[in-house]
Amino acid sequence: MDPDAVAKAFVEHYYRTFDSNRAGLANLYQEGSMLTFEGAKTQGAQAIAAKLASLPFQQCLHNISTVDCQPSGPAGGMLVFVSGSLQLAGEQHALKFSQMFHLMPTPQGSFFVLNDIFRLNYA
Amino acid sequence: MDKVEMGIEEQHEMVAKAFVNHYYHLFDTNRAALATLYHHTSMLSFEGQKFLGVEDIGRKLTQLPFEQCKHFISTIDSQLSPFGGGILVFVSGNLQLSGEEHQLKFSQMFQLIPLPHGSFCVQNDIFRLNYG
Repeated sequence: MDPDAVAKAFVEHYYRTFDSNRAGLANLYQEGSMLTFEGAKTQGAQAIAAKLASLPFQQCLHNISTVDCQPSGPAGGMLVFVSGSLQLAGEQHALKFSQMFHLMPTPQGSFFVLNDIFRLNYA
Repeated sequence: MDKVEMGIEEQHEMVAKAFVNHYYHLFDTNRAALATLYHHTSMLSFEGQKFLGVEDIGRKLTQLPFEQCKHFISTIDSQLSPFGGGILVFVSGNLQLSGEEHQLKFSQMFQLIPLPHGSFCVQNDIFRLNYG
């Protein structure tokens, strides 16, 4: 399958899960996964899921503007770079964000997130 | 975290910071020299356009439609890329083009891979402007 299409499909699945079933994000990380969220570092699927579940908003909607991807090396990984906006329920203005993922293939033919870095883009 | 992990953690942050400072200093003062940071399998995605290898990448960067520019870095995040010893670097900041009134916001990510003599080169580079 075309790598750009794979990246796009993963990104759509990730944000759909984030926006409708945030606890389900735990399935997209593994024990060695790392998240840096606005500078705060977390490691491991459980701790990452707990961090994301504890974010101070109930409902949100990600709107994706750009998705770029490149292969990361001989292990079959993919680097994915996303920009978009994040609408929080009750907030008038959407927040702009950028996020990078390093995806690694699983034996079952899908991907998990090994590295994840998220930053809001302030005006 | 034990002492060894602390050392590795600080190390990649130091490498990332030093690289970022070096990269944008070169970009802003001697753009042609950026070619020294890439090699023949390096990849660049610049505003969605893809380039492969140091020659194509060097050509793209030197042909960007502005003479002078200055990067101002707001945030630098880094993580180890466990397979192959690479370092992932995520940068956000502003880009001032000479003659332009308003700065452009940008985000950029790099994967740095270690070279035999202790330096690093850019294996992956993705650049995006962040429009208002």
